[in-house]
Amino acid sequence: MPPIKNTKVSTYLPRLGLSALILCLISGIILTFYYRPMGNVFQNVEEITTLVPYGWFFRQFHYISGQVFVILMLIHTLDHFLKKRYLSYSTGQWFLLILSLCICFFVLFTGFVLKGDKEGFFAGQIFMNILRAIPIAGEWLSKLFIVPGEDFFFLPYLYHCFFLPILLIYLIREHIREWLPDQKALFAGAAGLFLYALIVKPHVDVPPDAAVDMVKGPWFFLGIQTLLKIMHPVLAGLFIPGLFVLCVLILPKTGTAWGRALYYLITTAFCLYGILTFRAIIWGP
Amino acid sequence: MERREFIGKGIKRIFYAIGAIILAYPAFSFMKFRKSRKKRIIFHPDEQTSIVNFKKGVFLLRQGSENYALSDRCTHLGCSLNYDPVSQRFSCPCHGSVFDVTGKWLSGPAKKDLYRVPMTKKANGDIIVTITL
Repeated sequence: MPPIKNTKVSTYLPRLGLSALILCLISGIILTFYYRPMGNVFQNVEEITTLVPYGWFFRQFHYISGQVFVILMLIHTLDHFLKKRYLSYSTGQWFLLILSLCICFFVLFTGFVLKGDKEGFFAGQIFMNILRAIPIAGEWLSKLFIVPGEDFFFLPYLYHCFFLPILLIYLIREHIREWLPDQKALFAGAAGLFLYALIVKPHVDVPPDAAVDMVKGPWFFLGIQTLLKIMHPVLAGLFIPGLFVLCVLILPKTGTAWGRALYYLITTAFCLYGILTFRAIIWGP
Repeated sequence: MERREFIGKGIKRIFYAIGAIILAYPAFSFMKFRKSRKKRIIFHPDEQTSIVNFKKGVFLLRQGSENYALSDRCTHLGCSLNYDPVSQRFSCPCHGSVFDVTGKWLSGPAKKDLYRVPMTKKANGDIIVTITL
């Protein structure tokens, strides 16, 4: 395959993404000094937002830097996908990078749960029950990620703050090596995120015991939330997303004809999921 | 690869696999263990006055002289239900399942009726509901 020339998107986007990741980690470390995953988590988060000096700023900064990092990594992967750069990767490298992107989304999801508000609590509850619905192994598998009762937020906390960030950095260490010394991207990222966190105030959280007509999950799972209304939880929550990821993983392995067919299948599935997500954002899941 | 080398590598891998299982089994057993916890919710007589009473995840309902308790968790994916006194129905804010006042499933993806929670009535009129977490 002939070498593909780097465009501005291919060059600057991952560097900005890495800046967002660094800033997200720093703000996350600051937040761990007050955040507690036990007891009344909702109250704890409200205290961070309203009582602790600059808590609202660090919470918003952490939120937006995490979101920006994952969105930029998604666009970065799309950029590679559309330019068919996956052909230049070994199967192992491609596997690790796609796995890293999945981990990114799982980190965002655990962050959503850890807010401890109604949305977060329900998202955790739904995740736990989807895992439990897996035949035979579901019950014990769910206990590795989330458990009911007082420790509900503890395992998502461990995954969000320790296991997943360490694993993510380990997996992408080779991939990001050449981006590291980019001070311009770090400065631009910091300035943009700082302004956002300063200007946009965190949205009002709904207490877990309040009654609301509709509860929405995180934006990237709104499509799945819609599918859960009409399909079996394991099918909508695990099998279909898993099949999509599997198709992306085996992409570099396929031959020319199958590869083209798979490429269009992935593109169609991605667009359909995008439509489902936008539909859910506008009219609700 | 020679046959001898192949067999040697194969045996080595089998030993690694056995070693991994010996280590993994106690690790998984430790990680998945949770002590079973029971939560007692007491409805005092003054908390039983309405047709539908709610406390800490349990709906206590009255039908004639009979009382029964329903879990507030949707049988689909466990979101807490809302009670609408006008239609006298429970509805799920996550995926839209609807149940009638007796807990019977009416529509939506849940398909199963709400769980009835065991309860006991004391001589002083308190109703004690026990739920397992």
